[in-house]
Amino acid sequence: MAKTTSPPLLSPALLAQLERMELVSRKVFRGRMKGERRSKRKGQSVEFADFRNYVPGDDLRFIDWNLYARLEKLFLKLFMEEEDLHFYALIDASSSMSFGEPTKLHYAKQLAASLGFIGLCRADRVKIEFLGAQRRQQPGPVLRGRSSLWRMMEYLDGLPGDVNVSLASGVKEFCLRNSGKGILVLITDLMDKQGYETAIRYLVSQQMDVYVIHLLSEEEIHPDVAGDLKLVDCEDNDQAEITVSRPLLDRYERTLASFISAAQSFCAKRNVMYMMTSTETPVETLVGNYLRQRGLVR
Amino acid sequence: MSFLNTLNWWQWLLMAMVPIGIISLYFLKLRRQPLVVPSTYLWSRTIEDLHVNSIWQRLRQSLLLLLQLLLLLLAFLAFVRPNWDGTELTGDRFVFLIDTSASMQATDLGKTRLELAKEQAINLIEQMKPGDAAMVISFSNTARIEQSFTSNRSLLRAKVDRIKATNRTSELSEALRAASGLANPGRASEQGSLVDIQVAEALPATLYIISDGAFASIPDFSLGNLEPKYIPVGKPMPKNVGIVSFTTEQNSEKPTQQQAFARIENHSDEDLTFNASLFMNGELYDAKQVTAAARQSAGVDFDFQAEDVALLRLQLEQSDDLEIDNTAFAVVNNTRLANVLLVTPGNDPLRQAMGTEEATKIASVTVVEPEYLKTEEFRQESVSGSYDLIVFDRCAPEVMPQANTLFIGHAPPNVRPAADPTAEAATPDDSVPDDTAPADVPPGEDAADDEEDTTQAPPPDIDSLWTIKPTAAPPIVIDTDRAHPLTQLIEFGNVVIIESFAMTPPSGGAVLIDADTGGIFAVAPRDGFEDAVLGFEIISTADNGAAEFNTDWPLRQSFPVFVLNALQYLGGTTSASATASANPGSPMLIRPNTPVDQIAVELPSGSRTIVEPNTQKSFVFVATEQLGLYHVTEGNAEKPTQHFPVNLFDTRESDLTPREAIELGHEEVKGQAGLEPTRKELWRWLLLAGLAVLVFEWYVYKRRVYL
Repeated sequence: MAKTTSPPLLSPALLAQLERMELVSRKVFRGRMKGERRSKRKGQSVEFADFRNYVPGDDLRFIDWNLYARLEKLFLKLFMEEEDLHFYALIDASSSMSFGEPTKLHYAKQLAASLGFIGLCRADRVKIEFLGAQRRQQPGPVLRGRSSLWRMMEYLDGLPGDVNVSLASGVKEFCLRNSGKGILVLITDLMDKQGYETAIRYLVSQQMDVYVIHLLSEEEIHPDVAGDLKLVDCEDNDQAEITVSRPLLDRYERTLASFISAAQSFCAKRNVMYMMTSTETPVETLVGNYLRQRGLVR
Repeated sequence: MSFLNTLNWWQWLLMAMVPIGIISLYFLKLRRQPLVVPSTYLWSRTIEDLHVNSIWQRLRQSLLLLLQLLLLLLAFLAFVRPNWDGTELTGDRFVFLIDTSASMQATDLGKTRLELAKEQAINLIEQMKPGDAAMVISFSNTARIEQSFTSNRSLLRAKVDRIKATNRTSELSEALRAASGLANPGRASEQGSLVDIQVAEALPATLYIISDGAFASIPDFSLGNLEPKYIPVGKPMPKNVGIVSFTTEQNSEKPTQQQAFARIENHSDEDLTFNASLFMNGELYDAKQVTAAARQSAGVDFDFQAEDVALLRLQLEQSDDLEIDNTAFAVVNNTRLANVLLVTPGNDPLRQAMGTEEATKIASVTVVEPEYLKTEEFRQESVSGSYDLIVFDRCAPEVMPQANTLFIGHAPPNVRPAADPTAEAATPDDSVPDDTAPADVPPGEDAADDEEDTTQAPPPDIDSLWTIKPTAAPPIVIDTDRAHPLTQLIEFGNVVIIESFAMTPPSGGAVLIDADTGGIFAVAPRDGFEDAVLGFEIISTADNGAAEFNTDWPLRQSFPVFVLNALQYLGGTTSASATASANPGSPMLIRPNTPVDQIAVELPSGSRTIVEPNTQKSFVFVATEQLGLYHVTEGNAEKPTQHFPVNLFDTRESDLTPREAIELGHEEVKGQAGLEPTRKELWRWLLLAGLAVLVFEWYVYKRRVYL
C-alpha cells in the first residue's frame, strides 16, 4: 500500500531482453511516418506489391515502362509501404493502484516502460499516458526512437498516483484526443464502481488493437485480513463492515473469480485481449512469456 | 413451580453487573478496526447478497451477544433453583431422623426404603435456605448422630449419603433424646435451692422422622420445642413373610432326635404357600410346604438328628420385599452328659438332688466313698481329667484334680496355712462379689482335651490359695449373687445354717454367698478350671457318729436348683441344646472352652475378627451386625469350637406395612402426604443447557458462521 522507494523500472538485463522483441499487432494499421512495419498503403519500399492502371496525376516515375513497351498501356508499379506502428500504453493511476508490493502502479509503469521500450527500439510511435492526464495537464509525450527512452522514463517517474478519475471518463478523454489506430495496452485493476464496460467499449470503437492488463495485487487476490473490520475505500471513502470468517473469504474469492471471468468474457466478445496478472508475477516473465504467448510481442 | 433463592443481595448485585458488562464489552467490540483497501468494490459485492435480509443479518451479527445473554439467563435461572412439587421447609432448624433398621432394607418400591429415605432427606436438605441449620441422626435400636447442626448443605448431603443400612431393630427414643438435646435444653438447679435455671436457650427445631414407623410408640417423651413431622417410607401393602423365631429342642419322645421349630409370619394381604428348606451344615436336609394366611403366622417344625454340632439354616423360598428375614440360623450343640464324680461318705439329699429328672438329662453321676481318693485309679482319673466335675462332700483330695470341683463343708487342699497371720491380714475381705463379672475363667468343658495338664506347682503362688477362717457363730446370710449362674434363682434368706467356715477365694475368684461371718460360698478359677467351695456341710457327722443335718437347705426348693446349677455350670453343659441366638448389634459374651489369650471370630461374611479379653478376662464380641452364623476359634485351634447365630427375629421389622402415624409422647404424628420424592430440581438441566450454549457460542465464535 505504501509507496516504496521503487526499484528502477527497467534493469539492464530486462532492457537487453526487450531489445530483441518487437510489438505485434493483430491488425495492420496505417502509420503516419515511415517506419519498419508493413502498411496497408502502397509506398516506396523496395518490395514490389502490385500493378494498377495509370490515372492522370500519378507519379510518372512509378510507371512500368517495360510493360508499356510490351502492351502499350500505362501501368503503375506499386511497392509495399513500411510505416510506423502506434503504441499506446494507458496506465490507471488511481489511488487503488498504489497498493501491493511492489505497488500496482509501479508494476504498471514497469510494464508500460517495457512495452514502450520495445516500441522505441522498433521505431514505433510510443505514447504512454495515464488516465486523467488531460485534467492534470500532463499529456503523455509522443516518443520515437531509442533515444527517447529517457523521456519516457522521465514521464513515468513523474506519474502521479492519485488521479481518481473513473475508468470510463479517463478512457473517453484519451480516445477523444488520440484518434490514431494502433496497439493500446490498458493497465488497470478494473476496480471501478461504475464498471469497466463503458471504458472498454470506447476503446473498441476506436478500432484499436486493445489489450487489457488486469493488474491485481496479492492482497486483492488473497486478502490477508482478520477480525471485525471497517473497510475504507481509498478512492471514495466508501465503507464496508465485515467480520472476517473463512466462509466470507471463500465468498470473496468466488466473487473475485466471477469478476475476472466476467471481464474475460466481456473482452473476448469484443476481440479485446484480456489478461489478468498479479504484481507477484515479474514483469520479465509477463512480457517474455505471457504476452509473447498472447501475441503482443514477438 | 417454586423457586429457591441461593444468593444474597450483594451476590445478586454482582451477578446483575455481568450482563451489563457483557453488553458494554459488546459495544466496545463493535468498534471495528478501519482498514484502507484498494477498493471495497469486490467486498461490497461479496457481502451484498448477505444484506438482503438485514434483520436476520443483524440478529446474526449479534448472535454471540444473544448466546452470552442466554447463557447468563440460564445461570440466573439455575441460581434461583426452580423446582416442582417440593414440600416447603418451614423453620430454620431441622433434625432429620433416618431409620436404618432392618425393615428399611425392604425393596417394595424398587429401591430399598433406606435409599428412598435418604433421597427424601437430601431433597429436604436441598430446600434449606442459606443459614438454615440441620442435623442428621440415623437410628436403629441405637441412635447415631451422623452430623450435628450445620448449615453446610454439601456436608449434610454427604453425611446422609454415607448412612448404611443395619440389620438391627428400631428404637426411636434414643434418637429422640439426641434430637431434643438443643431444642429442649436441660434445666439446672442447685441442690436445696428452689431456683430453677434454664441452662441454655431453647432452639426450636423441626423434626423429620423418615421411617417406616416400625418402632414402638414412645409414651414418655416430651417433644417440647420439637415440631415432629413424620415421612413414612414404603408401599402401603407390601408383601413379606418373615421368620420370627427359630429354635431347636431335644425331641421329648425320641431322645436321640432333635426338633427345630420356626414361626413364620405372613405380613401381606394374601395367603401365601411356599417352601421352607432346612439346611444342615450347608446341605439341604429337609423342606416343608408352609401355608400362611394373610396377616397370620404359621409354624413349621423339622425332626432331625445331629451327630455333633449342627449349623442350621432355615430358608423361606418366597420372594418378597424384605429378604433378610427369610433366612434364620440356629446352632445345635451336641448335648454331652457331664461326667460327675460325687465323693461322699453319705449324703442322701445331695444324691437325690443329683438324681432328679432334669439332672440326669445333663449329667451322669458316679458316687464313690472318700476312700476312693486314695486309690491309684483316682489319681489316674484326676490327672487325665476323666471327670468334668468332682464333688467332694466333706473330703478333699491330696492334689487338686484336673476337673472343676465343688467342695462341700471341706476346705480344698490348696488352702493357705491358717497359722500365717500376715496372710490373713494381707487378704482382708477384698473379694466382694462383683455382679457383672462373676467368674473370669470359664469352666473347662472338655478337661480331657487338655494336654498340658500339669501337677500343682510345688511353691504355689500365695494369691492362688484359698483362705479358710473357722467361725464359731452360725452364719447369717447377707447377700447372694443372683447374677452368677451358680447361685441364680436361689433364695437363701430362708436357709438356716448351723455351722460354717468363712473363706476368701484366691485372686480372680468371687464370693457368691456372703454371710456376716464372711463368704460362705465362693468360686475361683484354677488353670482353666473352676473350684467352688461351700463353707458348710449339708449333713454332718455327730459326735456319736450319726448323721445329722447341718442346715435345713435340702428342705428348701433352692437346694435342687443349686445342685442343678452346679451340674450345669461346673459340669460344663447347658440344658438347651441350641445356642441362644443373638440380636444384631447386641454384644455377645463368648466363653472359650479352654483358657486362651485371644479368640478369633469368623463373621458370616467370611472375615475374621480377633477378640482380646477385656479386663474381666471375658471375651465380649460386639461386631454382630451381620445376620448369620459366627464361628469362634479359640487361640491357635484349627477348627472353630463354638458357633452362635445372629438373627433378626423381630415381628415389627418383618411387618413392612408403613405406619400411617406414630405416637410421640402424647402426640400422634400423622404421615405427611405427598411422599414421593418428587422435588424435581431444574438447576442441573439449566446448567447443562448453559454448557451447551457455551459450546455453541464457542463454535460460532470459532467458525464465524455469521458476518
